Amino acid sequence: MSNCLHCDQEVLTSFFSSESERETSISIGPFCCKGCLTVYGILKNKGLSHNYYQIKKDGQPFRSRAPANPSTNQYTFLDSKDFQAEYTYLNHNKERTIEFYLEGIHCLACLWVIEKLPSFLPGVLSSKLNLGRSVAIITINESGSFASVARELDHIGYRPHPLKINQSESEYKLKEERRNLLRIGIAGAASGNIMLYAISLYAGAGKEYEHLFNLITVLFALPVLTFSAYPFYKNSFNALKTKSISIDVPISLALIMGGIMGFYNLLIGVPENYFDSLTALVFLLLLSRYFLKSIQEKGLNSTDLNFFYSGENYQKAINLGLSEFSEIHPKQLNLGDIIKISPEQMIPADGTVIRGQSYLNNSLITGESELQKISEGENVFSGTQNISREILLKVTSLPKESRLGKILQNIENGWSHKSNIVSLSNTVSKYFISIVFLLSLFLLFFVLKSSGLKSALERSLTLLIVTCPCALAIATPLTFTRSLSLSAQNGIIIKDDAVIEKMSKAKTVFLDKTGTISERESEISEFKIIKKSHIEIGSIVHNLEKNSRHPVAITLKNYFPNDSQSFDVIDHKETPGKGVSGFINGHHYVISKYSIYENDELIAQFKLTEKIKKDASQAISKLKNLGLDVKIISGDKTEKVQFLASNVGLTNNDCLGELSPEMKWDQIKNSSSTIMVGDGANDAIALKSADTGIAVYGAMDISLRAADIYLTTPGLFQVVKLIVLSKETMKVIYRNLFLSLAYNSVSVILAFTGAISPLAAAVIMPLSSLTVLLSSSIGTKELRGLWK
Amino acid sequence: MEIITFLIPLALILALFFIGGFIWMTMKGQYDDLETPGHRMLLDETKTETNLNKNFNQTQKGDL
Repeated sequence: MSNCLHCDQEVLTSFFSSESERETSISIGPFCCKGCLTVYGILKNKGLSHNYYQIKKDGQPFRSRAPANPSTNQYTFLDSKDFQAEYTYLNHNKERTIEFYLEGIHCLACLWVIEKLPSFLPGVLSSKLNLGRSVAIITINESGSFASVARELDHIGYRPHPLKINQSESEYKLKEERRNLLRIGIAGAASGNIMLYAISLYAGAGKEYEHLFNLITVLFALPVLTFSAYPFYKNSFNALKTKSISIDVPISLALIMGGIMGFYNLLIGVPENYFDSLTALVFLLLLSRYFLKSIQEKGLNSTDLNFFYSGENYQKAINLGLSEFSEIHPKQLNLGDIIKISPEQMIPADGTVIRGQSYLNNSLITGESELQKISEGENVFSGTQNISREILLKVTSLPKESRLGKILQNIENGWSHKSNIVSLSNTVSKYFISIVFLLSLFLLFFVLKSSGLKSALERSLTLLIVTCPCALAIATPLTFTRSLSLSAQNGIIIKDDAVIEKMSKAKTVFLDKTGTISERESEISEFKIIKKSHIEIGSIVHNLEKNSRHPVAITLKNYFPNDSQSFDVIDHKETPGKGVSGFINGHHYVISKYSIYENDELIAQFKLTEKIKKDASQAISKLKNLGLDVKIISGDKTEKVQFLASNVGLTNNDCLGELSPEMKWDQIKNSSSTIMVGDGANDAIALKSADTGIAVYGAMDISLRAADIYLTTPGLFQVVKLIVLSKETMKVIYRNLFLSLAYNSVSVILAFTGAISPLAAAVIMPLSSLTVLLSSSIGTKELRGLWK
Repeated sequence: MEIITFLIPLALILALFFIGGFIWMTMKGQYDDLETPGHRMLLDETKTETNLNKNFNQTQKGDL
């Protein structure tokens, strides 16, 4: 076993720079694919290869992702005026800047080679890559061309996708991010400084300094309580406006009470306040939320793709004779445009076939696994894949008005909204705040009788401050952060932490069939040879189907080892719907309808069945063991769904076939606590409306957008691990809740006995936070062993 | 104990100086991308670099 020289993936069948070099010692390789070899060659020609591979060896792989296969796209549309007006911006020096999302960014060497663009491409002024977002910002001058930049990037294995720059939105986002950082920084600096003076006061600073120190503390606390803590006030206000309570409400309450008390004490000359604890609390809270947000954004960014199809460009006819074509980006298509769709390309817009015959793969749109035969005059839908031959298509509706576009709009407008569940911490806050209010009222009257109004008010205020559920508020985001990063390391991107809680309570799992449980390709389940030997049949298959891209042909070719002799096939024909035929050595052979004929005599027959993903049955039985109800919902024919269900250990009652996207949505709506696992456009609405939507590896980007979670590695077993992860995460959160409530009870007791003081708070608050932090970072045994 | 009348203002000035510096750096965009610069600094400038476009002044104001 060896690893590819370029991308470091394990190589099974190695690919060398040339066949003859394999034996000699100067051969270069191995490579995993032609793409990697090409990239290697380009880098070597430019004299960049030595550094590139050295950096690569030294640096840790940043993300396990192989380079994108080089395409033949010419990207000429990038230089058109219309495109540039929309996607690029010009500065006062007539330099143009564009942002590309790059596929295949995975390590330090990528950074190096992309930022080296100006040194080998004329006209490129600067090239900066953001590794986290996989976005390159490239500036060229008047002599440069974006098309040549894009071609170069494509050739070296980073397929570029131009991003639309929404300047006002991105500026607003940037400002917000900077403001958040300032909030954290100021809270941190202020709480550190306050601590210096607070400790001096606790240690018994002399009378002459008491008031000065107190004043300094208050001054430092002022920006923290106003500017830094602003998000808490805003969140509480929003929550109260909708007549609900979030965890920010008790926190804001403690901050406001603490502020009032601190200023009052300053005015009456008592050197006592809770600002040391409160500012540290604000700092830690902001920090823990910042961590959670940044890990979520990492996941979001990779789905926040501002393009619709996988970056393919299309050939548009530019003259009436349909002989000349120019490249066009799917976004720029107009009604009536005639475009050429090559085999394996996605159809970008609904349209009518005007020339050619082919097969279409509808599975991403309808879930049907069988291919659809199309010929001239027939209508095709966007999102389907052309399989066997080139066709010309006249666009009849724009991408955004097509069937697929409408599904996308529905998802973005959110008519299929999720049921919102109240998160645990918010539920707890509701009870918490009422109990604390009752307790402080009780304390008020209790002390009022014995020692007067002033001391009674003081003590009940103190109770409100010291019982702030800060430990819980800090630990919850950190526990989620930990689970999110654990899953991200193992190829699962969770977009929102709230789904972890929803997932842990799930009762029903809905699975899509095609692409989720079964592979998109089928396999040969039975091959009956009536006449001739296995080798002879193999040879016939390979010669007849040599150039065919029909899935059955590909399956057949994979079934027989490719070592057969090659013959001349005379009168070779391939007709959609009828199969292939031709003469070899004077005999007429036909492969049609799962049979092979020699001179009209049947010589072999075979059957195709859907290939079930390797870990599907195991994953499904594990899901059942976890107490979940597993159901299959599919757009494919009911018999096919039932047949597959029986193979993975499910009964006919557990599966439903022939469902439209809207009917899938109905299924989800009618059950509670659901998880939907799917991949196609027909699952998108269901993914969006389920409590948890999981898009599997290889899903369409429309599903990626609709889902809350997506898997970047193949296999259904990841779903099982994900559910275990959610359950274990919630265990940690419950444990933290218990710990933090225990500390709060201590504070309540101290407040009642009158033993509470700023010093006691300064000990209890950090101690409780520390305990829950430890508890979050330890996790549970199962959480630690989940991906070992 | 007189020394403290000197030390406290000094501590405060230092604190304000660093807070001010932090605000300035954040507003200048020093912390906009927290990931890439850490990797970028590991790359050595090598002699193979022949920038074809040397006249380009790096980032310009208002280019955000």
